[in-house]
Amino acid sequence: MRWMTDRQIEERTSFSVPEEFALRDEVRWLKSEDLKLFRYLRESMNKIEPAYVSTYPPSECGIATFCKDFASSVAKYTPFSKPTVLAVKREHEIEPYDRVVRYQILKESRQSYLDAAKFVNDSSIDIVSIQHEYGIFGGEDGEYVLDFLENLEKPAVATLHTVLRQPSPNQKRILQAIGERCEVAVTMIKTGRQILLDVYGIDPKKATVIPHGVPNVHRLSASSVKRALGIANAHVLSTFGLINRGKGIEYVIRAMPKILEKHPNTVYLVLGETHPGVRKHEGESYRNTLNDIVSQLGLEEHVRFNNRFLSLNELVRYLCATDVYITPYLNKDQICSGTLAYAVGCGKAIVSTPYLYAEEVLSDGRGCLVDFESPDGIAETTGRILDDRELKESLETNAYAYGRRAAWFNVAVDYLDLFHRVVIGRRAANKMPADETISTGAQTRTKE
Amino acid sequence: MEMDLQIIVKRCDDIPVIVLKGEVDAYTSARFREVMLEVVDTHGPKVVISMADVDYIDSSGLGALVGGLKRVSERDGKIVIVCDKPQVRKVFEITGLEKVFPIFESEEAAVADVRG
Repeated sequence: MRWMTDRQIEERTSFSVPEEFALRDEVRWLKSEDLKLFRYLRESMNKIEPAYVSTYPPSECGIATFCKDFASSVAKYTPFSKPTVLAVKREHEIEPYDRVVRYQILKESRQSYLDAAKFVNDSSIDIVSIQHEYGIFGGEDGEYVLDFLENLEKPAVATLHTVLRQPSPNQKRILQAIGERCEVAVTMIKTGRQILLDVYGIDPKKATVIPHGVPNVHRLSASSVKRALGIANAHVLSTFGLINRGKGIEYVIRAMPKILEKHPNTVYLVLGETHPGVRKHEGESYRNTLNDIVSQLGLEEHVRFNNRFLSLNELVRYLCATDVYITPYLNKDQICSGTLAYAVGCGKAIVSTPYLYAEEVLSDGRGCLVDFESPDGIAETTGRILDDRELKESLETNAYAYGRRAAWFNVAVDYLDLFHRVVIGRRAANKMPADETISTGAQTRTKE
Repeated sequence: MEMDLQIIVKRCDDIPVIVLKGEVDAYTSARFREVMLEVVDTHGPKVVISMADVDYIDSSGLGALVGGLKRVSERDGKIVIVCDKPQVRKVFEITGLEKVFPIFESEEAAVADVRG
């Protein structure tokens, strides 16, 4: 099989996720075209100024990508509001951030968290959305985030990307404090919410579920994209994301000989670079191990690594060409996976190990689960999907239907709804004077 | 590319009604905008848009509506929406556009309102 270069792929495939001419763009354009209508909309429409505390691109991590997608999706609905990102960064990094990043928190500087809280308190920001994962904040288990929260006077909502079933005492203390201080804690699956209640004792009224957002991708037939990629007759399996040992990719590679027995024209694409944090500590040793396994098994023609951080369009293009998407992850407690969410959003047939997020998202016929560390399980299930057209189409249809509800434009509406309710609740609790209130639909909120 | 929006234009007495079925999003909103502006230019600036069978609308769909509003405003017209789905209605509520576009649960009520 002859592999195409990235440039050739770029030249031969025209598919891209469309740029939205969003409400925000339309209203801004009106300012120069029809000032009267612009002013009428400015008076009529709701305004809410959210701030996001998170890592942020160009930092390469899943939460940074999540935050950018999230913040930009919400902003599309709020043309008269100014989004703000407070980006958490390591001291030595000099990041060419977007203009939306109006404050940089130095990860390991405790004072920086206090200063960030003051920055928000002194601003017109209405609500703070914190993307929480222990590793992205400074201090032991990221405990400096509590310095920020304890000094914050504005309401906050936390989106929890990790909810451990067996936390250490310090991890438990931190998440409990976040639950205590934030108005609402958001998890991306129901299981995560249940763990918050059972393990951390979070008040059920303060815990809610909003799915992980996915790109808005309409279904494409895999064959049309495969043709463009020059692999028209191949069965394509893929896994993408920031590569690290927890991905379990070696188990798919070890499944390949068995898959190839019945489906000799199968390729497995491993898309994405090594996680920068992993590369810092162990270089490319995991990828080298994977390459060694490929060589030992003589799979050079059937396994391809694309060692780059892929753009959304590249990623979607590869996903569209994929017949079976595989997440062979090893951590049973994983409560969230952006890559799995994306594959669901693209309506793919998915095979996965039964970590918590996959168990819930792939239930009800939306995917197939196999045992952890089981090349035989992966081979048998993947082969069954490739053999059974009806099964494959059923998995794809069910995944796509679920993914539509989780498209970023829907998830943004869920969060905006939550933001409004929280701000209204906080202001009501503060007993603002009646003349300070303005209407937002059926509910009421107050002016800044 | 699969296009997941059906657009039917009909008349209820003298009022044009644009019936949408499916998803109004980044893939389909340009076509919706085109049809809406053509309807306004052809049939006048008082228009009903039925979203009773719309599953999802995103911000580009709302942007198309604002584009239509600009066109009808120039001619002293009005755009009225038919919608009874909570998910779609919520989009108008959280943006505040429900104060800009009157929303009715039935086509009859919408036509009566737009006729004035």
